[in-house]
Amino acid sequence: MRDMLQRLQTISEELEDYEPELYGDEYDVDKGTLSQQAVMFENTSPIDDILKEAHSISKEISLLHLEVERLTINNERFGTSVRRLTLLKKDSDSIARGIQQRGGALHIRLQALGQESGQLEEREGPNSAVSRIARAQHDTLSHLFRKAMNDYNEAEEMQRSACRRRIKRQASIIGTEITDEQLDGMVDKGGEGWTELSQSLQGARSSRWAMCEIKGRHKELVELEVRLKEVHDLFLDMAVLVEEQSSKVNNIEANVCGTQEYTEKINVNVKRALQYKRKNPCQQCCPCLPCWNQNRLL
Amino acid sequence: MAPSGLKAVVGEKILNGVIKSVKKEGEWKVLIVDHMSMRILSSCCKMSDILAEGVTIVEDINKRREPISSLEAIYLISPVEKSVRALIDDFKDAAFTYKAAHIFFTDTCPDGLFAEIGRSRVAKVVKTLKEINVAFLPYESQVFSLDDPNSLYSFYSSKPNEGKEKMIETLAEQIATLCDTLKEYPAIRYRKGPEENARLADEVYQRLTAHKADNPTMGEGADKARSQLLIVDRGFDPISPILHELTFQAMAYDLLDIKQDIYSYQSTGIGNSNDREVLLDEDDELWVALRHMHIADVTKKVTELLQTFCQSKRMNTDNANIKDLSQMLKKMPQYQKELSMYSTHLHLAGACMKTYKASVDKLCEVEQDLAMGENEEGEPLKDAMKSIVPVLLDNEIKAYDKIRIILLYIFHMKKGIGEENLAKLIQHANIMADSNIINNLQNLGCNIIAGGRNAGITLPERKQRTESTYQLSRWVPIIKDVMENAIEDKLDRKQWPFISDPAPINTTQTAVSARFGHWHKNKSPTEYRSGPRLIIFVIGGLSHSEMRSAYEVTRATDGKWEVLIGSSHILTPTSFLNDLKSLDQVPNPDC
Repeated sequence: MRDMLQRLQTISEELEDYEPELYGDEYDVDKGTLSQQAVMFENTSPIDDILKEAHSISKEISLLHLEVERLTINNERFGTSVRRLTLLKKDSDSIARGIQQRGGALHIRLQALGQESGQLEEREGPNSAVSRIARAQHDTLSHLFRKAMNDYNEAEEMQRSACRRRIKRQASIIGTEITDEQLDGMVDKGGEGWTELSQSLQGARSSRWAMCEIKGRHKELVELEVRLKEVHDLFLDMAVLVEEQSSKVNNIEANVCGTQEYTEKINVNVKRALQYKRKNPCQQCCPCLPCWNQNRLL
Repeated sequence: MAPSGLKAVVGEKILNGVIKSVKKEGEWKVLIVDHMSMRILSSCCKMSDILAEGVTIVEDINKRREPISSLEAIYLISPVEKSVRALIDDFKDAAFTYKAAHIFFTDTCPDGLFAEIGRSRVAKVVKTLKEINVAFLPYESQVFSLDDPNSLYSFYSSKPNEGKEKMIETLAEQIATLCDTLKEYPAIRYRKGPEENARLADEVYQRLTAHKADNPTMGEGADKARSQLLIVDRGFDPISPILHELTFQAMAYDLLDIKQDIYSYQSTGIGNSNDREVLLDEDDELWVALRHMHIADVTKKVTELLQTFCQSKRMNTDNANIKDLSQMLKKMPQYQKELSMYSTHLHLAGACMKTYKASVDKLCEVEQDLAMGENEEGEPLKDAMKSIVPVLLDNEIKAYDKIRIILLYIFHMKKGIGEENLAKLIQHANIMADSNIINNLQNLGCNIIAGGRNAGITLPERKQRTESTYQLSRWVPIIKDVMENAIEDKLDRKQWPFISDPAPINTTQTAVSARFGHWHKNKSPTEYRSGPRLIIFVIGGLSHSEMRSAYEVTRATDGKWEVLIGSSHILTPTSFLNDLKSLDQVPNPDC
């Protein structure tokens, strides 16, 4: 990369020495805002609002991400630490529920942003800067949110397979084999599944500790399945959204080529003027009156 | 999966060197691009990437834009008059369109334009001004494009072209920025024959040397002295771009209507919309895995992968086919990304096979026999005319397919064919309207008419290959032979002369400390590849089979060498024939 700023500034300063009248007052970019065009100020406020909300949502998504990482780390502890198992389990459950809550709230905020963006498009036109900014922010944040939620799902999936593996291993330690289908059945039946299983295991060479382990894991699996069912609707919503958006939405070329030339707000006023002219009562009822002739010149 | 190779290098250079370098916490910026820079940016970054780094909107510099004077603007543009004018106009009036300007040129800004900027009010609001030296498109991890589809016309049209010199300089500069970005200072060679090859090679050498003066790290490293840049013309291998290929990417682009790398198809999903548009690029891991595979293996592989996926997620795998993907999606919407990937490639492979069975299967055997000069048993072709006549007389076969067969027949007849015979073939095939395509190939230096312009020019001798291949995929692009020879240092110096003497392989180099002295080098792992590279530039367009060869040869060296290949644009057989058709016409002023 070549830095050419110095060179440019040299040229510019040289020119100033020769023709200072061209520049007038020194314009310092960082000090003061321009005050010439009032129409600019109208735009900054909604843009600022959108950007503020977007920034806030993006921070929330980062926090969500951190929580998902916390969950993953906590789940890994299951494998390494045997002590305080119930506490670890409670932690996982509470972290996961926290994630679901955050996720749900974020989903609502994103939907609101999407609606806001739709309204802006209707009010200001789909090509105005503010509605394009809103749309781009909504699309990107939805994308990031989906990624975070997919990571959450991944963490739950890993935990689920780890749980199942441990149950099977514990069962084989005490002498019984549990197949995948049996495990599925057990989990589906929730608490009843456990009573069935414990009865079937009574006969086998039992170990209190192993039974405790299996019971704990089983309970955990059931809770996990419940959590996943609860979050299923959220995933379904997100999937529908993705299907409606074309994959081009994240493509820069598609975005740039899709924008149209900016036509200033002055056109809105011209349209309004034409409307008023048409609705002019003089024109409508008395086309022959002299005042109509004057209006015609408008 | 993050893209690797060229896309990663350029993506990282732009994200870090441009966008992140001016990022300020809490402040958003507008990004303004022109056509070329937009194509470069789009090929290696997504909207989400740049929005995550403080860009809030991307604008086209050549469109009238809404003023947003509360935000600063990043101008990522090529240093051409149109873009510079638009830049100056943004700050011409009393009201500035944006609060400040950070300007990044894709390559060297000419002095005249630079002075204009210096004289304008832009100079008062500019906070950054750099030249990033990226003026090429990283199309794939080992393929680059210079985004100029008119190149074939510019080089080989029958009409005089005054802009040819300027265009060669532009191309040379673009190729030089490729080497600059990769920190390569390769030895430049060209195929002896057409004068454009030598001319371009010479110009590249000059540009490269100029870049090295500013960037001495180019070509550093013991192995880098072996890097080579080969300039070759399209006429060198006219067969590869017209043959029907049966590998996934080449076949899809040839037989289906894929524009701008987007594949459109219909599929029921969970929502109401049935239209799907999918971008075929390296973000799609499955595409990367399948694109060079033979079509016969593709459907099998995708179905296999889908089965494994379903099993691992404990989904019912009895009907792991296209129709039931929407059912699976309803049950497990969190796997939408994966499921839609499988769906896309199943549809794509299916579409290819459908089109193939409709007409192309009749052609492939004939084409392979003509291209190889022998049938699948290795027996030399005795009567080529006999095998092509039924194809030419078949009314169901499209004109362009017939032209492809005729051309392959001509190349098979090493000395070309007589004008009368050609006229007869054209008549039998009923392709009078498109017949100039055949004659125009002579502009590329190909021997078409026996005793004509290019009499005596023959296609090169081929290497004998022993790998087993599918019967209808025996042809190997000629460039693959060249790649292998260059890497083994067996490329003939008379046919492929060096522009300057190659840098002597310096065995007694000054010891370079691994720990000290590198503090100023911001090398990222992707660009700082220590092994040598073979970079090939084809004048006039690149075919998919040649792209595939670059990957195959690289793999065969076990990663010791990296082969990059590129051209002004990527060809499909149809686009190549269209380009050839227009060679003898006056250019469309609208282009």
